[in-house]
Amino acid sequence: LREPLLDRRTFLRGAAATAAAAGTLGLGLRCDFPGFFSDTEFATLEALCDRLLPPDRDPGAAALGVPRYIEGLLTAFDRLHPQIFAGGPYSGRTPFPDYQNGTPSRRHPSNRFRRFLAMSPRQELFWRAELFGAVAAGLPAHLGQQRGGVLRGLRSIYPEGLARLDERAQTLHGQPFAGLDTALQDTLLQQLDAPGALPLEPVRDRTFLDIAIQHTLEGCFSAPEYGGNRDGRGWRMISIEGDSQPLGYSLFSRAIGGYREREGHPMSTPNADELGPDGQLVPRPLSADGLRIQTRIGNLTGFLDQVIPGACQ
Amino acid sequence: MSVAARANETLGRRRNILGNARLAHFDVCIIGSGAGGGSAAHVLTAAGQNVLILETGHNPWGDLDRPGELPPPLQSNDELKYGVREYLDPQALLEPRTFRTQPNATAAVRDDVNSLPKAVGGAFQHADSKTPRYNVVDFELKSRIEKLIGETPGLSVPGFGADAGSANFADWPFDYAELEPYYVAAERLYGVQGSLEDPFASWRSAPFPMPPGVPMYLALLLAEGARQTQLSGGPLHPFPFPASITSRFYEGRPPCVDCGFCSGFGCPSHAKGTPAVTTLRRALLSGHCQLRANATVVELVNDGGHVTALHYADGDGVIHEQRADAFVLAASPIESARLCLLSPTPAGGALGNSSGQVGRNLMFHHQTLVSGFTPQRLHGQRGKAVSDGLSDFRGVEPGGDAFRVVPTAAGRSLFLGGIVEFSASQGLPITDDGGPIAFDLPRGVGFRFGLSLKNALLDGAISQHLIAMQMQGEDAPQLGNRVDLDPSVRDLLGLPVPRITYRPHAYELSSRRFYEPTMKQVIANAGGSQTFIDPCETLLGDPPTSRHIMGTLRMGSDPSSSVVNPDGRFHDVDNLFACDGSVFPTSSGYNPTLTIFAVALRIAHRMVGTVPGP
Repeated sequence: LREPLLDRRTFLRGAAATAAAAGTLGLGLRCDFPGFFSDTEFATLEALCDRLLPPDRDPGAAALGVPRYIEGLLTAFDRLHPQIFAGGPYSGRTPFPDYQNGTPSRRHPSNRFRRFLAMSPRQELFWRAELFGAVAAGLPAHLGQQRGGVLRGLRSIYPEGLARLDERAQTLHGQPFAGLDTALQDTLLQQLDAPGALPLEPVRDRTFLDIAIQHTLEGCFSAPEYGGNRDGRGWRMISIEGDSQPLGYSLFSRAIGGYREREGHPMSTPNADELGPDGQLVPRPLSADGLRIQTRIGNLTGFLDQVIPGACQ
Repeated sequence: MSVAARANETLGRRRNILGNARLAHFDVCIIGSGAGGGSAAHVLTAAGQNVLILETGHNPWGDLDRPGELPPPLQSNDELKYGVREYLDPQALLEPRTFRTQPNATAAVRDDVNSLPKAVGGAFQHADSKTPRYNVVDFELKSRIEKLIGETPGLSVPGFGADAGSANFADWPFDYAELEPYYVAAERLYGVQGSLEDPFASWRSAPFPMPPGVPMYLALLLAEGARQTQLSGGPLHPFPFPASITSRFYEGRPPCVDCGFCSGFGCPSHAKGTPAVTTLRRALLSGHCQLRANATVVELVNDGGHVTALHYADGDGVIHEQRADAFVLAASPIESARLCLLSPTPAGGALGNSSGQVGRNLMFHHQTLVSGFTPQRLHGQRGKAVSDGLSDFRGVEPGGDAFRVVPTAAGRSLFLGGIVEFSASQGLPITDDGGPIAFDLPRGVGFRFGLSLKNALLDGAISQHLIAMQMQGEDAPQLGNRVDLDPSVRDLLGLPVPRITYRPHAYELSSRRFYEPTMKQVIANAGGSQTFIDPCETLLGDPPTSRHIMGTLRMGSDPSSSVVNPDGRFHDVDNLFACDGSVFPTSSGYNPTLTIFAVALRIAHRMVGTVPGP
């Protein structure tokens, strides 16, 4: 188990004093702290993330900042307000609506996502257990026992998981994971993904690889304030807008006594890039993988219905 | 207490106690600040009662007790915060629940047993605020169906007539006309938009406060598909779904901008008419109300017929005693019933349980989800999550004052399903695409990682292309579907957790099967292919996914078969009331929250002898 890089008590005293001196106590300080991973671990993590969501003509997980996102999660409690729940209501990425005309105004709200929220005692206990483990967080033992084990913290799981990955790469190919070519990396990950190849984490019932996949998805597509999705490129890559308040998509106009739809982001009609010259629908083709997943989902329920008669009728 | 907890407490103290901090004597203590508690607090404080509200969750709303404009909330358009890190929800590790489908089986700890958000303002803040009314027939379902069976040769309905012993249907102790003024009051207080296009809606004495907002593209596709689909010899009747969401400036709240982060999220702009920004805030501004957040009630201290005080744990687990003249349970059905069961009487029973009915007749809506995929992108991230629907599958005649009798192979029957929401994925990449494709689908069906996963995400294979209809089918009340205390599993405070025993009844399964082909036809007519039906969870041994929770403290006139009387007061405890969904005798087939509002308003008005204003 790792200790926090900075003793929490010392840190909090220092931060509180600094904040009080600046007259900003409670406004959510954001300080940059040293990272969590060693350089070697970070290189392995970057290589791993980039195979989970690889670069092609669009950025992969590493370029989108996933390793930084994961490091931000693991060091969440190194900040006065833990970097777990971003603040609200707005990020400032869209302006306020102009309610007179039903158009975007020129006035942008300030970014309150950056001010991470104070947590309730239960939220804090849960997230401390998530990061540091049940024992270090002081979680009552029965909560783990009745789920068949002791919850280990992500701050232990990541260094161990990355070390195991490097060990396996060294044993099989004589190099750390990051030094392998991508085809060998993929093969190794597929082997580790086979049921039983990696141990299931107690209470979580997930392997290290499961956890890394989940966090890679989060780091690619969560709000940039959490450290990933660099400059919103994850959202742009998959053609979604991300957070849209306070502008939204339907703009009320006092002048017309009703709504206008936001230009370029239609509510009640198809996207413009799927409309032909005469207004007819011209769907953007899906990839073979996208079509495959849809077909498999459709077939799956037929299968379930055979296994458990009536389940899907 | 940890340093961080102490720092948080210092920073958060202002927001952990809202309202009039100087109040010392309380006429009424309400447990829960959501749909039931917020509505009741507004009525009671308006009548001059001093009210204390204890809320187990945290406060995501800021200084609700500050006069003037509504404060900026801590809510936001943030998939990670809500969909993944569950900002509004209880942590299942700290507050487990157990579930089983068979009454003699050992219940298993399940991460997600019908859990509702726990936060100031209650669970409704995570909903997309759909607020249909119940029908006239819903309040007299038992007697009307039994009468119809007696008059109609060949008519049989699961759970009624010769099969009545398999279920536990009952009439409500008042009719639709009695509740109607409270529906009107609720629609005004919370600010409901809607239209008169639903032919199956029952009569109303006042118009909707606001017209419908902008329809979603996917809803227009499904509405057109529904108009091309026949049921009982005529086309289906789509209409704009009533919702307590602004479509105009309304009592200090701006018009909804259709940001898309609606179902599952807190509203950053106050467009959603939830208790926090409506009734609860009025109560907090009255000077007669104090709210304590992070306050978990653990026991009602009683002499068997009277509650003298309660014990609650604050955020640090320190137990406090609190006195009041009367107490109101509004913690939602599972927790309201659990609190009675956690409160022993001197005679050795559980509080309020002389009928033996506490915790029984637990109902969820039986959700039937039929989906397909469209070739074009549906951009479900723009809009209220559900803007339109239909209630043809409720199985009533226009006006909701009679049943639709349907010929079957065996004779005749009724199929009382429920309202249908026109739905789709909400365009959320982590939870709509990533999670299902990498984790939820079986190995070999999904993509665990790599370029295939990325390609599916770029397509928005599910999140942009899934089109769906969800029916909120009526769930038959059954004595064996219940909440009790798990004999071995305990929560963070060391208390026994709620154990849910639930299995579906032929009543809802027959409606599911009857309407599924029509639902599939609508999806196909709307341009969906690969049409599929989500499995019925309980047949797979899983808890129902429904978050519409009703029953457990049934309301009725007979003390031997119900827990509270028609005014919400416990038959056997003279100063204890319940005013949440727990009192519902039946569940109907419409989203329940507006009816929880109306019932809570009625109970509170009758506590103080007032009536809703004009």
